[in-house]
Formats: sequence, C-alpha cells, structure tokens
Amino acid sequence: MRKPKNHKPKKKKQTVRLPPSKRHKPKYVWLNVLPDDLWIRVRRGKTIWEALQKAAVHLEGDCGGLGKCGKCKVKVLSFIGPPSKEATELLTEEEIKDGLRLTCRNKIKKDLVIYLGEPQPDQEFFQILKTGYRPPLQLDPLIDKRLVTISPELQKQELSEMDRIRRAMGPEGRNLQVPLHCLRTLPQIFGKTSYHGAVVLHENSMLAWQDWESVGRRYGLVFDIGTSTVVGKLISLLDGHEVAAISHLNSQIRHGTNVISRLQFIKDNKDGLKRLHDLLLKDMRGITQRLLEVGELRPEEIFIAVAAGNTTMQHILLALDPSGIAEAPFSPIITEGIVVKAEQAGLKLHPEALLYVMPAKSGYIGGDLISVILASEAAEQDSEMILGLDLGTNGEIFLGNRSRLLTCSTAAGPALEGARISHGAIARVGAIEAVRMVDGQIQFQIIGNVKPKGICGSGLVDLVAVLLHCGIIDCEGLIHPTTNEDTAHLNGRLVENSGVYDFLIASPEESHNGRPIYLKQNDVRELQLAKGAIAAGIRSLMHEMKIEVGAIRHIYLAGALGNYINPFSAMRIGLIPTVNPDIVKSIGNAASTGASMVLLCRNSWHMAKLLADFIDHVELSHRADFNQHFIEHMDFPRDNLW
Amino acid sequence: MAEFNALTESVIKGDIKSAVAETQKALETGQDIQSIIDDGLIRAMDDVGERFSKGQIFVPQMLRSAKTMQECMKLIQPHFKEGDVKAKGKVVIGTVKGDLHDIGKNLVSMMLEGAGFTIIDLGVDVNPEAFVEKVKETEADIMGMSALLSTTMPAMRHTIDALKEAGIRDQVKVMIGGAPVTDDFAREIKADAYAPDAGSAVIQTKKLLGLS
Repeated sequence: MRKPKNHKPKKKKQTVRLPPSKRHKPKYVWLNVLPDDLWIRVRRGKTIWEALQKAAVHLEGDCGGLGKCGKCKVKVLSFIGPPSKEATELLTEEEIKDGLRLTCRNKIKKDLVIYLGEPQPDQEFFQILKTGYRPPLQLDPLIDKRLVTISPELQKQELSEMDRIRRAMGPEGRNLQVPLHCLRTLPQIFGKTSYHGAVVLHENSMLAWQDWESVGRRYGLVFDIGTSTVVGKLISLLDGHEVAAISHLNSQIRHGTNVISRLQFIKDNKDGLKRLHDLLLKDMRGITQRLLEVGELRPEEIFIAVAAGNTTMQHILLALDPSGIAEAPFSPIITEGIVVKAEQAGLKLHPEALLYVMPAKSGYIGGDLISVILASEAAEQDSEMILGLDLGTNGEIFLGNRSRLLTCSTAAGPALEGARISHGAIARVGAIEAVRMVDGQIQFQIIGNVKPKGICGSGLVDLVAVLLHCGIIDCEGLIHPTTNEDTAHLNGRLVENSGVYDFLIASPEESHNGRPIYLKQNDVRELQLAKGAIAAGIRSLMHEMKIEVGAIRHIYLAGALGNYINPFSAMRIGLIPTVNPDIVKSIGNAASTGASMVLLCRNSWHMAKLLADFIDHVELSHRADFNQHFIEHMDFPRDNLW
Repeated sequence: MAEFNALTESVIKGDIKSAVAETQKALETGQDIQSIIDDGLIRAMDDVGERFSKGQIFVPQMLRSAKTMQECMKLIQPHFKEGDVKAKGKVVIGTVKGDLHDIGKNLVSMMLEGAGFTIIDLGVDVNPEAFVEKVKETEADIMGMSALLSTTMPAMRHTIDALKEAGIRDQVKVMIGGAPVTDDFAREIKADAYAPDAGSAVIQTKKLLGLS
C-alpha cells in the first residue's frame, strides 16, 4: 500500500523498528497501584517501596525500607512467586496465602499490580491490558497550538479581528476557519490576553484562542471500546507520552457478554440503543474524569479524542443503530472513519472538541482491528509476510504486507476467554494464568497469588500444552492415563466418569473455595473447536495468499490473551503455526496503540482510512476450504516441540 | 446374527483399509447384505455417535468413521438387488435465514448420512420458503434447522410458521440445533426435537421416525 502524502514536508525519514522480543528486558516497567489505578513508571529493579516513595504514596513503615519492621505490606496481584526467607518471617501464613508481600523486599522486574489498603469485596481486580508497544512515529498531532501575537500595527489597521489573526499567522492562516463558538468568545479573550495568545488548530480551523501560557498544555484522549472493557488513555501531544491509562468494565455487560447479545438487546427493546449508548458514555465520562484528575486538567482543555472499537461498539458510541450487523448480510450503517463534535457523541470536553472514530471494514472487521493493523505496521512491510492475531470471542486474523493484506474473522467461541469451560474464569484474582512443568510437577501461576478459583484462557492453553507433553492428553484430544513413566504420577489426578476422564487441577484443599477444580474432557473439546477455528482461519488466509508457513516472517499477537499466552504453548496446541518462537511477538493492547498513533500523527488517520479500503476481507463462511481446514486442525499437532 | 466385530471395530477406528477388506470378505463369504449394513456398519456408527456424545471421540474421528462407512457402502452398492435395502428416511437440512454458520449443520448431515438417511442439504441463509418448497418436493420425513446466532433463532419459528401456512406441518418432523438453541426453545416454538450435537441428532432422528 502506498502511504499518503504527508501534510508537512518530510523532516526526516521515519525510523521503523520492530517490537522488542519477549526476552528483551525493558529499562522501565509499570507499577499499577489499585484501587486508585495509579500507574507509575519505574526503573526496573527498584523495590516497590522505592517506587511508592518516589510517587509520594504513603505507606506504613518504621525501618525505612530495610525489611525489619514488616509494616509496609501490600497485596500483590501480579504473579511474583513466594516471598524471600527473611520476608516470610515478617508475614503470617494467612498473609502469605492472601498474596501480601513487603514492598521493600520486592524488586519490580516486570509490570506489577499492587493493591493498597483493604480490598473491598465488590472491587475485584481484573487483568485488563492497557499498555502496548508503539512504533516510533513523527509527531504531527491532530491538534496543534501556535503562539500568535497581533502586533500594534495590525491592531491599528482597519481589519476584522479574524483577518488580524490570519495576517498574524502568515501563510498558514490564509484559509483559517473559525467555528461560531470561538468567534463569540473572541472579543472577550482578546482583551484578556492582550492580543498575545495560543491558537488551537485543527486542520485549518481555529478551535480556540487561549492564554499564551497554555501553549504547552496539549493533551488528547484515546478510547479502546471493547465489548467487555473500555480503556481510556490521556496522551501528551507534545511528546507522545502516555500520561495515564484507566480501564473500566463495559457497563453494557449487564445486557450480555458478547456483541450478539447487545444487538439482540437493541432489537428487543425500543429504547435499547439509547440505553446502551448512555451506559457506554457514562463509562467514558467516568474514565475521562479520572484521567483529567491524574493529569490535573480541566475538561475544556481537551480538544481531541480518538475512539476505536468493534463495528457494533462504534455504532453504539455514535448512537447509530447497529441492528443490521446481527444477521446476514451483516450490514452496518457506516464503515468509514468519521469526525464528529465530541459533544454530539456525549463527551463533555471543550465545546469545540472533536471525536475521531476509526474506520472499519465491515460488520465484523471493526475500527479496533484496523487500529491493530495500523499499530503492527503490517501495511508498511515491503516484502516480509506478517501474520497478526487478535484473540477474543471472535478471533480476528490478518496476513500480508504492503502488496496485499487479508483479514478474516473466525467465530472461535469464548473458550479462550474462559467461557464455556467448566471451571473457566476471566482473567481476575484467583484465575490460573499460566501453567508450567517444573521437575515433573505441574506448577500454577495464579493472578493475585491466592489459591486458584478457576482457569483463564492463557492458563487453559498452557495446561493443555503441558498435558499433551505429559501424554495425559493425546493428539486427538482424549484425556487418558499416560504410559510415560516420567509423568505417570499425574495419573493419580485423573478421575473417571462413565468412560471419560477429567483432570484434577486443584483438590478441595488446594482450591480457593474448598471445591475441586477440574479440566473436563468437554473443556478440551471446547478448546479444540476454538483453536481449530483460528488455525483454520490462518490456513484459509495462507491458502488465499498462496504461501506456506515458511514464508511468514513475523507473528504478532494483540490483545490481552495475546499478551499473556505463551507462544510455545500456542504452538504446541496448534493455535498458531509451528515457527521459530523468536518471530512470535506480543504487541499488547494494539487497538489503543493504533488509536493513539492517529491522535499523534495526522498521517496515521489517512493510513487508517486507506487501510480500511486496502485490506481484503475474506468471508470464511463462503469458503469450502475453511471447513476442511477446520476439521483438520481440531486435532492437536503430533510433534512435540518441547 | 452374523458376527461383524472386526468390521465394526475398523469403522469405529476409522481404518478404511481394514474396513474395506472386512466388507470384501463378508461379501465373498456370501453374508446377507442387509445384515452387513445393519449389524456391521450401522451398528458401528451408532457406537461412534454415542462415543461422540460422551466426548470420547471428536469431530475428526467421527468424520473419519463416517467416511470409512461410505467407502464400505461403495463396495456393497453393486450387490444391491431391488428392494434389498430400505431407505431409512429423507432429511432436508439447512442453516436458517440470516445465519451463515454451517459447521455444526454439516456434521449433522454427515452423521445422518452415515446412519443411512438420505440428506438434502440446502446450505446456509435458507429462506423459510426454500425449506417449505424442498420439504414438499422431496416429501421429506425430517426437516433440520441450525442457527448459531441468538439473533437468527427467531427464523426457526418463522420457518415452522411457513410450514403451517403451507399446510404441511404435520407431514414432517422438525428437529433443531445450534449453540444458543435449547430444549426449552424447541418446545416453545413447537419443534419436534432438539439435538445438542451431531451424535444426538442421529438418535433423535431415529426416535422421531420410530426406528429405535
């Protein structure tokens, strides 16, 4: 795909770097402090104590971080392993079981989530991914500010105030447009600022004339509107830095967990669309308020927001009826990206603030996937073949490069989000998020460092991969006692039930609520369907592109599951093709990354619009080969990579 | 009853080579054709359906067994004499209007075919009128409908209404299935049966036709 022409002359060639591999250890990591949801950027290796001191977060403690008093304990929600020996002595057994750790004894080596104070029972921690890798880009934000002085000579000339501004701005001001609201406030603000101020520019339109001191205060918002969570970010337009990120469960969830159930709600209720729109806007306003508090900003200081979501969510945001997406031929009202007044959508920012809503491709290839592709830079690769996956209830897949880019959406089913799994859970406290084999024993990594309550998508993929490795699950997906002597001790965890076996993950003593947790035979079947659909989607795209696995140079995994899933496990179960693991990379919450790229670089908006036209949507339900691939990929790979 | 254990085993395993050899042997030793089919092949497929419903085998294994059976049938067909083999029944099947998901429906088709039924597959996004027309034309015994989206489930009701309007509702049994479909929903729209999976679809079909 050809890049659109830059608005400004090119300053320098844009550098293109690839996302860092998983093994790359970043210099800085994030410490997320709940329940305030404060994000602190910390140099890797600092203790939690040091980080909190620096951020002026008050903590109990008499010894000043020496590990003697044992008072600076907090609840650690990310997995960090057992406390050190000396710390163990300062914590009670109960505290260790609840995931409490001493802040001064724990170095921050990766992104970490902690909870200060007494956790409220209704304030559950959900693992929602907010961060992601953003490729370097040339800053050219959607909103710009210019210092403009109207000289005494200009003030004396017989000119309208508007023409004075145009003259003072030089060639750039020649076609300057001004909305009515701005014109009305002009005389007043001119007087206040003595004809020396900052012009807020959007394209060739002046949104406001501000005090010159505000020239450095340039911020924008981005929203990633997911069916289950809404993530908001406050971003500095001066340096592209993420000032704060906050997430909220999408309140529409009370009307169903997936897109189809929301569409059903709109069809069944006369005011359904309005109710869902109102719920979404309430979430977005709440997020905005918190973001502005963190940034110490007033709503009127924000002139720009960018939103990305699936096609249905984007329709609901704009209060457009998405019912057409519910059934074939799956027709939305619009797919193109649009720019509206933020106020019209219901966001309370500056009265002239604009809301950019990402372009979509179709009813099921939404602005979120366009954002993910934008963030992956797949359309800028000359010849290297990129495979990208955004895994959720619908597995969205893209394959290609600058010459051709294909996408498809597979109904993978919700197994990868822990739904339809007997003891499945979404990624929250108590969910098993990873499983490893250590010295012949299965080890579980649990969110919140508590006893397990269930298993989430990444844990499920790991567990099945480990059990395949141990011979407890065969390549047809059947759970049965292993004949492998090294792992035969695991046979004791198998429970037979009318001819089929279930695998005991946690006995009543090992589990959180005293009830056993199983991986049941049918859970494996659900996973086989989910991974079969995704693998078949990948094969169908490869077939369409006429390439083999060997041609794929990079595999990018987007979204929360993509971030937490172990690439080895994903390959072991055949979710992704077997490749050199070094080429598999997680690009994090790429939907919000793509939206922030649009915010920060006008060219990205044009890229996104071109992308939506450029990509080819492959409708799998029309393809005979998809069913064939699907059936073939329900089995697990025979080869043991490990 | 003749012993076809080796044949049955081969079909269950989906071992085409050995199943074909066993069928050949049975034909050469002059076994009754109806008996080879009923006590060998169909008995195997019944077992396959049951194993599938329990979770002991999965879709690829079930399909391989179905394919094995079809290969055996190819060998047997030239030996058919007029009236030798009774057709078990005709099934018109399709995914309802507005829905394009057909994997579940295809599995049901293949299993029913494996169990000896004649299948008329209308594909996906099938109008109520198209269902009605085909049922009339083929004088089908069963009409099967599939829907994967909760938003397309109402189309099942509309299709049943269309059968009523055409005055043929009592001439055909209606069976429904699909991820969001439930037994309650089947009762609500007055379908005759609900099948949660392809194995159960065979069992339900037989029940509806009084074959088991």
